[in-house]
Amino acid sequence: MIQQTNPIFGRLDWSVTPYTDLLNKVTSSTIVGAGAATVLVVGAIGAVALLTWMRWWKPLFRDWLTSADAKKIGIMYIVLALVMMARGIIEGFVMRAHQATALGTLAAPESGLVAPDHFAQLFSTHGTIMIFFVAMPLLIGLINFVLPQQLGARDMAFPVLNQVSLGMTAAGAGLIMISLLVGQFGTGGWTMYPPYTGIEYSPGEGVDYWLWAIMISGIGSTLTGMNFAVTIFKKRAPGMHFMRMPLFCWTSLCVAIMLIYAMPALTVSSTMLLLDRYAGFHFFTNAAGGNMMNYANIFWMFGHPEVYILVLPAFGVFSEISSTFSGKKLYGYTSLVIASMSISVISFTVWLHHFFTMGSSVPVNIAFGIATMVIGIPTGVKIYDWMATMWRGRIRVTTPIVYLVGFFMLFVIGGLSGIILANPSIDYQVHNSTFLVAHFHNVIIPGVLFGMLAGIHYWFPKAFGFRLSETWGRLTAYLFIGGFLCTFMPLYVLGLMGMPRRSPTFQNPDFMPWMYIAAFGGVLMLAALTSLTWTFWTSWRNRERLAVPGGDPWNGATLEWSSPAPVPEWNFPHIPVVTARDDWGATKRGGDPWRGPDEYVDIEMPANTYFGVTLAGAAFLLGFAMTWHIWWLSIVSLFTIVAALFWRGLQVVEPVIVPAEEVERADKQYRDRIASLTPVRRVEEETEHNRGVPDITEFAG
Amino acid sequence: MTKPNTGEVNPKDTAAHEIRSYATGFVISLILTIAAFAAVLSDLSPTLKILIICIAALLQVTTHLRNFLHLSFSGNQSREDLLLVLFSASLLSIMAGGTIWILSDLHGRMHGDQAAHAEPAEHSHNRAPED
Repeated sequence: MIQQTNPIFGRLDWSVTPYTDLLNKVTSSTIVGAGAATVLVVGAIGAVALLTWMRWWKPLFRDWLTSADAKKIGIMYIVLALVMMARGIIEGFVMRAHQATALGTLAAPESGLVAPDHFAQLFSTHGTIMIFFVAMPLLIGLINFVLPQQLGARDMAFPVLNQVSLGMTAAGAGLIMISLLVGQFGTGGWTMYPPYTGIEYSPGEGVDYWLWAIMISGIGSTLTGMNFAVTIFKKRAPGMHFMRMPLFCWTSLCVAIMLIYAMPALTVSSTMLLLDRYAGFHFFTNAAGGNMMNYANIFWMFGHPEVYILVLPAFGVFSEISSTFSGKKLYGYTSLVIASMSISVISFTVWLHHFFTMGSSVPVNIAFGIATMVIGIPTGVKIYDWMATMWRGRIRVTTPIVYLVGFFMLFVIGGLSGIILANPSIDYQVHNSTFLVAHFHNVIIPGVLFGMLAGIHYWFPKAFGFRLSETWGRLTAYLFIGGFLCTFMPLYVLGLMGMPRRSPTFQNPDFMPWMYIAAFGGVLMLAALTSLTWTFWTSWRNRERLAVPGGDPWNGATLEWSSPAPVPEWNFPHIPVVTARDDWGATKRGGDPWRGPDEYVDIEMPANTYFGVTLAGAAFLLGFAMTWHIWWLSIVSLFTIVAALFWRGLQVVEPVIVPAEEVERADKQYRDRIASLTPVRRVEEETEHNRGVPDITEFAG
Repeated sequence: MTKPNTGEVNPKDTAAHEIRSYATGFVISLILTIAAFAAVLSDLSPTLKILIICIAALLQVTTHLRNFLHLSFSGNQSREDLLLVLFSASLLSIMAGGTIWILSDLHGRMHGDQAAHAEPAEHSHNRAPED
């Protein structure tokens, strides 16, 4: 297939939209494709109309997009992730619906809701979105929001770099989204292994969409890792030694280290594939002296640390909530720190277990198999630590605790199936089957998703000043747990029955009962998504009743609970001097924790800038232009990026000064408010009486 | 909290020192880059070429760390810097060593164009395909 490249439009023409496919041939597959594109278009038009109607454009830019405040950047990351998650879950549902109708016969082997090529695009985008544009933004957003507050800092070490990271992630997400409407996405799965994704077998734009989205967002993630690491090393409050940091900060440090060392591997493998595709290189073409297995090798050098990048922040969240909602100190702090650090280092030594079957000899496979089993040990230590934290505690079954208990039950099953897969001889039997699909969903959903949703519930009041509805929150949690069980437990069985993963069709009628259960699970997942959306909506409507201006709704022990909710831009009127681990808890034990600082000083905050938005726009255009071979636009956008970097480098950047009087006024107001609110006991935590001021005599953590 | 070791003594002295350090680093990097290109374009044996490129690359990494990223083992942050270097070196050796081990183990099974490889790795040929 040789395509003509137009000098102005590159390879774009009117035949690339799903609507042309629909006009050419009306099938369920083209209807689904056109429907998805329509949802995107209507959603975009609706968003623009809403912003215009409510006159929100100016506030959107002034308060959010140009802001360098880590908390706002964190919230924007999470919003991006939730939007992408909606698409990912819907795609998952379409795939389950497809496979439930995909029983073919020997005479008519193809069947089902969508065409095989469409199905391949679905699993490729689903995987890419869920890993890179849901899990990553969720955890990076949560860390951005929480980390400075827990460390006793006002912001990240590099606030504007943080804005750029968000911009790069959003640009990548934008490329994935536009691929719904313009052209096709790749069909090589979320890992995009060559030679299939080489230019010879995948000549179209699909793989290029993936490559540019991954490259651009990967730069953002690398920069984020550096930002987190420097923040933790340099911006801790006085007295906050490493061993006094809350565990969430420790897992953030592990994440930062892994991002710094793992993301470059992904950039390297993507660049090599890019050079193969665009510049006629032969890194991965065997016949010309390359080696396609090297792609798998480099990719998983990133890919395995990546799964621990995803799950460690969730472990941090679970450490915080198991302690807070049990009213106890975290059990085994030191062991949890050592376990987290061990995980982050050992995670760099196991990558070959993703391709045991590529044909390595026994010693290689055994070495990586053993390393894989070893990494289960620190994870096991953590589970026991959290259970010991809860043991004999006064547990309140709030939404985060429901997620935590769901995590205990399900993650252990997922971990055990991982230990099974770590044995190369068993891996040979079940690799590339739905057993594997069940395994990684079994660790990622209960681990990452539950952890992040629990974290959102836990810290939501700190961000917006009101709690989320516990009733709806728990319902969402139960739906996610039930949805997970119904969707993925059947896949274990199907895998053992011999069903390959990613198969658009099959001819074995014995699969069908399990397929129906899995499809029902897909319905439950959709219900969970709806319920999650409703939780936010109903909580916003009841925000007066759920308001917690006192700022400490859960009787917490870490520094972020010492400030009002919503937390002011500067986090702390005076940088706290830390004297103990769980400093806020220690202050509570000392009595009168809400005493104001003796003096107020001017506070320097980073100024707003359009730098991040400019780079994001230019990066998105660069990716889009390169994907469609629109060379002039690529050059223009690349030039814009370079010019913006120069321009920023030549600026004298002045911070914004918040005068001491303003800080004093806001802080005094908060202290007066605290004095006027009635402290609430734990039993009334979920009622309207919870105004964010806990009864400190009950504090035992 | 530890302070960055850029030395906040006298801004003027520091600036002159910084510029000298950056300029030195730039010139050394330039020479090393030219050396690598010269090696590729020369008539040396492939093994020697690879060796020269690898050495030039490692030297350039060191130059960047020292002259551009202000890594030093004598400032008040020397312990942190040393730990950082050792940690990076160990992770990178895991990655590079692992890759060499994995791919050389696999080499004999790729059935690539044998003519393109003048010297196929010997140990991979000693293995029976079944193991």
